[in-house]
Amino acid sequence: MIGALKWWAGPLLAFALLAALRLLLPLAFVIEVLIFSIYTIGCSFLLGRVGFISFGQPAYLAVGAYGTGFYLFYFGTNPYLGLLIGLVSGFVFALAVGPLFVRLRSDYFALVNLALAVIIFYLMQKVLADVTKGDNGLWFLTNIGSTPGLDIARPEGFFVFSLLVGLAVWAFYKYVNDSVFGACCLASKLNEDKLKFLGYGNFGIRLMAFVLANTTSALAGSMYAIYLGFVSPEITSPARAADPVVVTILGGTGSLYGPIIGTLAYTGMKDAISKLVGNWELAIGFLLVFIMLAGEKGIWGTLEPRLQRALSRVKARVAR
Amino acid sequence: MDTQLFLSGVIFGLSIGSIFFLMAIGLSLCFGLMRVISLDQLLYYSIGAYITYSLSLALGSVWLGVLGGMIMGGLASFAVERFIFRRIYERDVTFSMITTFGILIGGVGIIKSIWGLVPRPVPVPISTQIDIAGTAVPAYRLIVIVVAIAVYGAIWLFLNRTIVGKAIRAGIEDVEHVEGLGINVYRLFTITFIIAGVLSGLAGGLHAPLIMVDPVMGLEVLAFVFMVVIIGGLGSIKGTLVSAFLVGQVVSLGSLVYAPLAQMAPFAIMLLILLLKPTGLYGSPLLKR
Repeated sequence: MIGALKWWAGPLLAFALLAALRLLLPLAFVIEVLIFSIYTIGCSFLLGRVGFISFGQPAYLAVGAYGTGFYLFYFGTNPYLGLLIGLVSGFVFALAVGPLFVRLRSDYFALVNLALAVIIFYLMQKVLADVTKGDNGLWFLTNIGSTPGLDIARPEGFFVFSLLVGLAVWAFYKYVNDSVFGACCLASKLNEDKLKFLGYGNFGIRLMAFVLANTTSALAGSMYAIYLGFVSPEITSPARAADPVVVTILGGTGSLYGPIIGTLAYTGMKDAISKLVGNWELAIGFLLVFIMLAGEKGIWGTLEPRLQRALSRVKARVAR
Repeated sequence: MDTQLFLSGVIFGLSIGSIFFLMAIGLSLCFGLMRVISLDQLLYYSIGAYITYSLSLALGSVWLGVLGGMIMGGLASFAVERFIFRRIYERDVTFSMITTFGILIGGVGIIKSIWGLVPRPVPVPISTQIDIAGTAVPAYRLIVIVVAIAVYGAIWLFLNRTIVGKAIRAGIEDVEHVEGLGINVYRLFTITFIIAGVLSGLAGGLHAPLIMVDPVMGLEVLAFVFMVVIIGGLGSIKGTLVSAFLVGQVVSLGSLVYAPLAQMAPFAIMLLILLLKPTGLYGSPLLKR
C-alpha cells in the first residue's frame, strides 16, 4: 500500500501542481500545456530511450486529429468515441509505417519522418481537399454533443478530462520506464549488439517503442481536435516540425517530467516573448543552442539531482 | 504536353536543381568530413539573399549583391564554426542537428528584427530571353545553371588537384589517419565550413531574383535540400549533383502534370529510394565514428 502510494506520488504531485496552475493562469493556457506535454512525451521517449530523433511528430499528431475530425464532421457526435477513433487510427498508422522506418539509422530516421510530415501536409491541404476542405479545415465544434458524466464538450470538463488523461499517460510511461521493455529500449539505444547478445531483437523493441510513442502523439492530436473543434492542415505544417524536439531538449531528454517542464517553459516563453517583441524564435533558438552547449540536460535534467539532494537532506534531518 | 511547355519546364527544373545543389553540397561536405548535420546552412542561404537585396538596392547591381552575400555567408559560417561547432564536433550527429536547428531559428529571429516580416523583391539582373528551339528561355536561369556546373567543376578540381582538397577527401575516409599524418584537421574543418557557408550564400543570392526574399525562406527549402542530400547519399558530391537535378525536374515537371503533386512527389521518391537503398544513390555505407 505504501509502496503503491510512493509510486503514484510523483505523477499525482505533478498533475496536482498543474491543476493548481489553473488558479493563476487562464484555462486555455493550462489546457494547451496539458495537451502539448502529452504530445511531447512520445517524442521524449523516442529520443531519450530509443535514441530516435524525430522531426516528423506532426505527422502522427495530424493522423490522430484527422481521425477524430472525420468522425465528428461526417459521422457522429460522441467526442469520446471520436477520441477512440483518433487513437486507433494513430495506432494503425504507426504500425503500418513503423516496420519501414525503424530499420533506418537515427539521422536518416529524423529526415524520413520530416518527409512524412510534409507528405501528410500536402495530402491534407491539396490532394484530399474534397474531403478535408483544404486550408479552411474541418469545423465541427457545433457537432460535438455533450456527454453524460464528464462533459468534455465544455472547456471546464475538458480540462478535468485532460488532467485525467495526462495522469494516466504519465503513470503508463512511468510503468514502461521501469519495465524490462523500457530497459531494453535503453539498451538498444546504447549498444544494439549487446542487446542482441542478450537474446532480444532490436527490431521488435524499436517497433514497439515507435508505435507506443506515435500513438501517444495521435492521442494528443485527437485531444486538440476536440478541444479546438476544428482541424486544418496547419497542424502538420513543416515549420512546426521541430517544436516537440525543442520542448524535449528544453525540458530534459528522456526524463519523465521533462516534457511538462519543457512545455511550461516553451509555451510560457512563446506567449510572454511574442507579447513583448513579436520575435520569439530569436530567444528560443539561442536558448536551445545555450542548453545544448551547457550539457544538453535541459531544465528538469539540471533541477532533478538538486531536488533529490535537497529531499534527502530534509529526510536525514527528520530522521535525526 | 507541348514541347514549349516541356522545355521551359526542364529549364525551370534545372535552375531550381542548381540552387538545391549549391546548398546541398555544403551540407554534404560537412557531413562527410565532420559528421555534423549543419542545418544552419539554410541561415547562410537567407543571409545571402538578404544581403543581395540590400546591396542591390544600395549599389544598383545584383551581381555585387550576390558577391556580398557570399562574403557574409562565409563570415557568418566562420563565426559559427569558431564559437559553436568547435565545442560539439565530438558529440553525436543528432546533437549537431538540434544545435544547428537552434542557430537556424535564432538567426531567422535576427533577420526578422533587421529586415522585418515583409517579403522583399530583388530585380532580375538580366531580363533577356534566349530562343531555344522556338521557346523563349530567361537568360538568368541559364546563368544559374552554368554557375552551378562551374561550382561543381571547381569543387572537383579543389578536392582532386590541391593538397588541401586531397586532405579533405582523405579526412572523409578516415579523419584519425589524416590527423596522424600531422595535418591539422581542425583547420580542414574550418576551411570546409567556410566553403559550405560561401556556397549557401551564393545559392541565396542567385535564388533571390527568382523568388521573394522573406525571413522563413530557409525553412521553406529545408525539406527539399535535405531530400537532395539524402537521395544523393550523405557525403557524396557527385550524388548530390545528380539528385539535385533529379529533384528539380520532379518538382518542375511534376507541377506541369498535376500541380499539388509538385510538392509531394519528391518526398515520395525519397521514401522509395531510402527504403530500397538506405544509404542513398551514391552514398557509401558510412562508418560510425
